[in-house]
Amino acid sequence: MSDWLAQVIDRADAVSDALTPQRQGALAVLKAQQWPTRRTEAWRYTSLHPLEDMTLPALAADTPAVPDVAGLDSIDLVFVNGALQGSLPTFPEGLTVGGLTDSAMQAVATDVFGSVKPREHLFGLVNDVLATDGVVIDVAPGAQIKPALRIVNLVTAGAEAHHRILVRVGDGAKVTVIEHGAGAGTSVNTAFAEYKIGDKAALEHYRFALHGGEAIHMGGAHFSLGDEAKLDSTLVGFGSQLSRLDYDLVHDGQHAFAKFNAVYLLGAGEHFDLHSNVEHAMPNGTTEENVRTIVGDRARAVFNGRIHIHRDAQKTLAELNNRNLLLSRGGQINTKPELVIYADDVQCAHGATVAEIDDKALYYMRSRGIDREQALVMLNFGFIQELVNEIPNEALSNWLQPLLRERFSGMQVRP
Amino acid sequence: MLTIKDLHARVEEKTILKGLNLTVNPGEVHAIMGPNGAGKSTLGYVMSGRDGYELESGSIELNGEDLMELDVEERAQKGLFLAFQYPVEIPGVSNMEFMKESVNAMRKARGEEALTAAEFLKVAKEACKQVNLPLDFLKRGVNEGFSGGEKKRNEIMQMILLQPSLAILDESDSGLDIDALKVVANGVNSQRDGKRSFIVVTHYQRLLDFIEPDFVHILSDGKIVKSGGPELAKEVEATGYAWLGKPEEAGA
Ligand SMILES: Nc1ncnc2c1ncn2[C@@H]1O[C@H](COP(=O)(O)OP(=O)(O)OP(=O)(O)O)[C@@H](O)[C@H]1O
Ligand SMILES: [Mg+2]
Repeated sequence: MSDWLAQVIDRADAVSDALTPQRQGALAVLKAQQWPTRRTEAWRYTSLHPLEDMTLPALAADTPAVPDVAGLDSIDLVFVNGALQGSLPTFPEGLTVGGLTDSAMQAVATDVFGSVKPREHLFGLVNDVLATDGVVIDVAPGAQIKPALRIVNLVTAGAEAHHRILVRVGDGAKVTVIEHGAGAGTSVNTAFAEYKIGDKAALEHYRFALHGGEAIHMGGAHFSLGDEAKLDSTLVGFGSQLSRLDYDLVHDGQHAFAKFNAVYLLGAGEHFDLHSNVEHAMPNGTTEENVRTIVGDRARAVFNGRIHIHRDAQKTLAELNNRNLLLSRGGQINTKPELVIYADDVQCAHGATVAEIDDKALYYMRSRGIDREQALVMLNFGFIQELVNEIPNEALSNWLQPLLRERFSGMQVRP
Repeated sequence: MLTIKDLHARVEEKTILKGLNLTVNPGEVHAIMGPNGAGKSTLGYVMSGRDGYELESGSIELNGEDLMELDVEERAQKGLFLAFQYPVEIPGVSNMEFMKESVNAMRKARGEEALTAAEFLKVAKEACKQVNLPLDFLKRGVNEGFSGGEKKRNEIMQMILLQPSLAILDESDSGLDIDALKVVANGVNSQRDGKRSFIVVTHYQRLLDFIEPDFVHILSDGKIVKSGGPELAKEVEATGYAWLGKPEEAGA
């Protein structure tokens, strides 16, 4: 056991609130956990040394700016180092929102907490026992919520913050939730979200993990889909010293449809690890998963894409496509498919490729006067363009494009 | 305008160009013919600065400037254009974006304001019409899934948009139907203004019925072995290259 985990457990004993019964179960599991090493399968390519070696500086006094998305129809909840800024705004009818431990939200909180996120994620457990900040969202059955609910989670240098989001989307309801995380200072942050999507309900979900620098970010998003539920989820990640996300998409109902598009773009010495796990527990479900990574400089991208089709999940259609673009000789990409199929009448496809920048295309563009740097930005953008085009929210797509371009223009190619 | 002197160049350890001389004056059209593997495409690549195409000796000057000192994009910005024998497919980058960036890169190099999207759209539509490509080709990925002939027209469209001072057309007529051939020829002819020059690489005298060259050169085994007027192309069409004899094994 590491010192870091030992102090987490020490502090966990002192946490006492409405969720304590739920936390106790997690704490028991956490206490029995082995601290991962590189021999631990789920952490094979991601070392936890940065966390073990980290000493947090004094807490920075500055309040980071809240990213502005032009034209976005949203209700914003801004958290800095876990703490909600200002008071809760008013919400449209059918949408009830409260703090993680608000007594008014307790029924929803206890219903969702730990019921979607599996207990195998080490930092999910840490979040279980330490996250006292966060938000609980309840969408009434049938409610069609127009404005997006944007949860901005900013972390400053020197902070250790644990944040939790619990969402219940009632049967037949429709809602958009945006999780925006950022912060580049030396800090530790866990941010986990659980979504229980009811029968015939629809969730449009975004997670922007735009961390950087010395930040350590451990997080996850976990979804349970009811009968005929629909999930459209987009993840955009920038790496940091250590970023790790775990996604679980669970088809708990029949005829559910899940789409998950992920893009992560890494430069400098950044590290980003995504483990996604799709569970088809019920028949007739569809999953479309597309993961694209671009790695420059000395960065490292890790992707583990697991699809598990249970015995009863006949007529499942599951596709996982993972494409990676390696820009530099110093960069690394570790990608691993994991198909576990117990049903016989299913269609399941899994493909992973690692490509390098196409020299011919680069030459062709340069021969048209486009300088090398700009040509690379265009080629990189071309690589993820398809996924950017699929973003259903136009304001978000417009906001993202220059951000991604800017990201590319700083990346080193084949130094 | 263009002066190539005693050019020796190699590709991956193999010397392909072996003492090539060529002078092109403003406004001239030069046709280069010659057997497969003679080094015609290599000449275009060396001039445009493709990686792996190395100068061994000799010199290439464009408008008094040493081309070999410049990067690929700088050569293009100085007015050199190569229409590729095999245009490259770039999935994910739209033809429109590609050409807009390209036109604006040239403008920037000349110290001119970039065209706005709307301004560019207007000229692009014009150019698209001129080469007889449907407008949706602007939206598609660069050359992605284009037929052979469509790719060639797309090259000519770029030439029309970029208005180079020296354009090298590497077999822009290969694989074209007769209408497309006229499109390519018109593309070139519409650009001829007494200042712009062209090097037209072709295997067929047919193209030269539409683009009247000032000079025809035969390139064989890395050298220009014969030069003449348009009648030389007719001669080649009639008699082939048997008269050249067998080229020596290069590098042996
Ligand atoms: N990368 C390479 N490595 C080795 N040899 C090469 C390479 N690229 C080209 N060559 C050789 O260089 C010679 C000249 O090629 P080039 O493409 O310039 O011929 P060309 O005159 O354009 O022929 P064509 O009429 O068939 O287009 C050929 O023998 C070709 O095989
Ligand atoms: Mg050739």
